[in-house]
Parts: sequence; C-alpha cells; structure tokens
Amino acid sequence: MDELRNYARELLEKEEVAAVIGYQQVTEKRTKPIVITDPAETSRLVFNEYCLNNLAVYLTKARIRSLMRTKDKTMKLAIVAKPCDVHSIVALIQENQIHRNDVHIISFNCHGVVKDFGCDFNGDNLAAKCIKCETHKPLYFDKIFGEEKQTPKAGDASLEKINELEKLNSKERFEFFKSEFDKCIKCYACRAVCPLCYCQRCITDKAIPRWIESSSHQRGNFSWNIVRAFHLSGRCTGCGECDRACPMDIPLSLINRRMAMEVKDLFSFVSGRSLETPTLVGNFDKKDSDEIFM
Amino acid sequence: MSFKMEEKIISKDDLLKLCGDVIAKGHTLLAPGIAEYEQVKDVSQIRLDSSALPTKTSYKSYVFPKAEPILYYKRSKSDVQLIDVDVNGKKIVVLGAKPCDTNSINILKHLFNWDYEDEFFNLRQKHFVIIGLMCSSFDEYCFCTSVGSSPVSEEGSDLFLIPINEDKFALRIITEKGKEFIEPYSEFLKDGDEAKSNAVLESIKKPEVAFDSKQVHEWLGDNFENPKWEGIGNVCLSCAQCAFVCPVCHCFDLVDEDYSYSEGRRMKNWDGCQFGHFTLHASGHNPRDIQSKRYRQRVNHKFRYYVDKFGEILCTGCGRCSRGCPVSIDIKEIVSNCKD
Repeated sequence: MDELRNYARELLEKEEVAAVIGYQQVTEKRTKPIVITDPAETSRLVFNEYCLNNLAVYLTKARIRSLMRTKDKTMKLAIVAKPCDVHSIVALIQENQIHRNDVHIISFNCHGVVKDFGCDFNGDNLAAKCIKCETHKPLYFDKIFGEEKQTPKAGDASLEKINELEKLNSKERFEFFKSEFDKCIKCYACRAVCPLCYCQRCITDKAIPRWIESSSHQRGNFSWNIVRAFHLSGRCTGCGECDRACPMDIPLSLINRRMAMEVKDLFSFVSGRSLETPTLVGNFDKKDSDEIFM
Repeated sequence: MSFKMEEKIISKDDLLKLCGDVIAKGHTLLAPGIAEYEQVKDVSQIRLDSSALPTKTSYKSYVFPKAEPILYYKRSKSDVQLIDVDVNGKKIVVLGAKPCDTNSINILKHLFNWDYEDEFFNLRQKHFVIIGLMCSSFDEYCFCTSVGSSPVSEEGSDLFLIPINEDKFALRIITEKGKEFIEPYSEFLKDGDEAKSNAVLESIKKPEVAFDSKQVHEWLGDNFENPKWEGIGNVCLSCAQCAFVCPVCHCFDLVDEDYSYSEGRRMKNWDGCQFGHFTLHASGHNPRDIQSKRYRQRVNHKFRYYVDKFGEILCTGCGRCSRGCPVSIDIKEIVSNCKD
C-alpha cells in the first residue's frame, strides 16, 4: 500500500497530475471513492478486494475535469483502476471523452473483488464479473502494482440465469422482466454509476418532447430499461456497477451481458479491449452481418 | 387529544392468528421482508425479528406512491374535461415496523398538509395502522438516537410490540386508532406488566449519539458557503437512491401523460433533489448547477429548513441512504462534520 501512496504523492507533488481518483477505506469491509488534490491526503489511498467502485465514471464529470485546468497549464488526472475498470477507460478514450494523454492509469494485478461490501472474500462472495474475468492484468496502464494471485473459483450463476431465460418463450421472458422492472423506482443510480452513461443530458430528462415517460410505472420502466440496454450495447464493458447500485436489486447486468454476447457473436467485438480498433457503432465493415436489420 | 397507553400481553401464535384475520378480511398486511416491506399473503412469511436491520426501502410508497395518477383529462377542440381519481383508501396494517419508520408518516403529514391538503396522502394515511416493533440491533449507519428517536421509540406507532420471550410479546396500545383496531381481538390479550417490558426496553443497546442536531442546525445557518460541501460534491454521482429509499424524502414532480390527443392523465412522480435538472429553470438558469450545492440542499432541508418550518428533523436516522449509496457517502459522517 505504501508503494501506491508514495507514487500518488509524488505525482501530485511533481504536478504531473491535477488529482488522484482512488479508494479510501471506510470500514474493514468497505471502501469509497476519494478525489485527492492535496499530496498529504494520499496516505488515505488503499487497494484491496473491497475496491468495488468503477472510478472511470469520474473521468467525464465536469467538476473533476475542471480540476485539470490551472492558469498556466493543463494537467492529467490519475486514476486507480482495476483491470476491468481500464476497459471502461479504454471505451471512454475510443469515444473521445478523454484523451489517453490526459489520464494516468494506476492499475493492479487483480484477483477479484467481493460482490458487495461487508462480505468475506471467497468464491461464494466473488463479484459476478470476476467469475468470468479474463483480464487479471490490465491491458493498458502507466503504473502497475500488486502481485499476480489466483482468483477463487466460483460457478457462473449469471450465465446460468441467461441460459435459463433463453429457454423461456418470449411471453414468459416478458413476464420475468416485467416483474423485475416493476420494482424500478427510477432513481437512476444505474445511470449515475455507469462510466459509459456520460450524456450531458440523458434522453429520459428531455421533456419537450418527452420520449421516455418519467413515471416509474410499467411502460415508463420498460422504456427506460430498454433504451438503456440498447444504448449500452457494444459499449458496456461489463463492470456490473449498475447491478450493484440498484437499490431494488434488479439484475440489470443480465441484460447488458446478453447484449454483449450478441455483439460478440455478430461482430466479434468486445467493448473496451483495444485502443487500436474503432468503436462498434463508429465503424462500418462491408462484411458486417445484415441480420441485425429489422 | 391524549390517550392513556395500555399494556397488554399477546402470544406469538395469537398475533399470527390476528394477522391471518387481517389478511382474510381483505386488508393489506405489510411486514419487513428481506429487502423491503412485503405484502404478506401467508402468515408463515412473517419473521417479527427485532434484530433485523432496516429493509432497503421503507413503506413510504404505500402512502406516497412512486408514480400515481392524480387526475384524468379529456380534451376536445372547445373543452377540457377533468375526471377525478378514486383514491384507493384500503386499510393497510404494517406489522413489525421499525421505530425508524414508524414516525415517518407523522413527519410527512406536515408537508402534505401545509399550503395544500394532499387528499391522496391524507386518505391513505388515515387507513394506516402501524404496529411498531422494538429494535434490538444497529450497524455503523444507524443514528436514530442523534435525531431525537431511539430503537425503542413508540412515536408514530398505533400499537407497539416488545418481545418478552420466544413466544410472547408485550403489546402497548398507543393511540385511539390502535385501540379501535385491536378491540375485536381482545380475546387474545392479557394484562401486561409495564415494569417488566420497560426493563426489556432499558436493556437494549442503542447507537451512540453522533451529533447534536441543535448545533448542526446552527452550523448550517452560518455555513452556507463552506468548502466542506465541495469535497462531498466531487464524489456524489447525482442519483436519487438516497431520496427514494428515504422514509421521509417527499419531493415530487407533476407531469402530464397523453395517451392520445384527446385523452391523458396527470401523474405525481417521485423526484430527487440530487438530480442535476431538479432545479433547472425554463430559462436555462440552474440555481443548483453543481453537485456540492445539491448536497448542501439535501442536508439543509433535512436538518435546518424542515426544522424551521415544521419543528421536526426530516430524518429518522435509519441510515438507508448511506447503506445503499453507490459511492458510500455516509450522511451520519457528513452531519457529524457539520461543525467548525
């Protein structure tokens, strides 16, 4: 931990970065995001199995971006990112939301995080995204810490659920999602925590004309969740933050993951994995399948 | 109107029989489930566990629904016809309500009867019977004792349960409404011993008082512009999780939903002060344009403005907003820091 703190402190002291976005411990089994501009505060930084938040969400926030600009120069933002969070950063770079040169990625060799704060770290309590994770080492970074360790083994319950839903007919599947979406209270925590939900003004907030009903009744909830699913297809990197943030426990990542599977099958594309390839929707290939056109 | 509290004893079996009867009569029976207050269909669902932490959401939505039509309209070229909504004033019995929930309706009553009497809220709350249950555990997010309540507070309950042993509860009749509700079941009740159940209440460990709400009130008045707000604003992501799981947050938005040119309805929907567009004016000006101003509003509304206006803190200390916050913002910590 000292390595991370010293490194972050030096970055701030040498004015290489304007701020360090990282994690601080709040209780034994809970961390929370912290935005550090004062080098002395770097002593609060931690990295462990309780660093659940995907901090990439802060990279597009106007108030965080404003920290980068001082009178005489523009500085970078340093971010502590798990390898999976780096996928989100890559997606943001691809979508021109931040320049690679404006972000200093401090990453770790990662062996997984818990599914929720307060849990012990073991196979039973592993976050769903860690179970299927293939990126224990970050694909892009400016500095890496931590030793490679084995991720605990666990069954992929979310894939099982997707397979189970696949077997249902469309009416039954509709009933499943109806009962899930009925719970939605439209607090938009799913949108707030999503690094790829960076629209300055979300379509749901537009009132003239109103495309998406703001009421959290069945039609309003379906409209929101379906728009969300489509807008994130080919863009969602599978960080699972929406699932974690939902106060009503709606399994949102089932939808995102299923859409990601579709995108992979059709276009052999996985979001946030390469800075060299263009975005899925920003790229047209004559060889693309026509199946997607309705 | 003062009502003299009556102390009774009821066995768990009889209490469940009572619940069975409530369901059989077609009333709605709510009880804390795993995540929320669930509608009980079968009495075997009932846990009555005084050591359970607060559910993720309160029963606020049963008195102030997340989305409800308040009128229907029909429109023609020359006329607009308004059609009233028939409010479903069905009896709702909440069994085992947490003391951090029981007073929520009383706190909300002020707002919904201030400049305008909200008939929807009033009719629903009139049909509510709240059976509170003493609370015997707390976690690091609980702070009821800092907002003038406690895990053994009977405030807001019509009836109040205190577990005496595995199969028996002391049942206190707190209000006239409670007495009216329990009267048909008087065969289940035996006279209780107030001293005995008081001893149980006194033995309960309570969360330490984290802040002095009077000092917080004063500090907020002097510190509208304080750099502390900025630190919070940097981390908060502007969702409304905190407001929507809160038992007393009550902001709402009125929107018209057209089914067609000629028909539609007006909806009253939950809204949250942390949303960026919450205070966005039609002119484009936004008085709370940045997150720090919005979080300042949240704390001020709860611990200063509501107190000034209605004499009560707009917070029950349940800790739901902190437990569920995606970025782990702890309101207890923030309010405790509302000092120099």
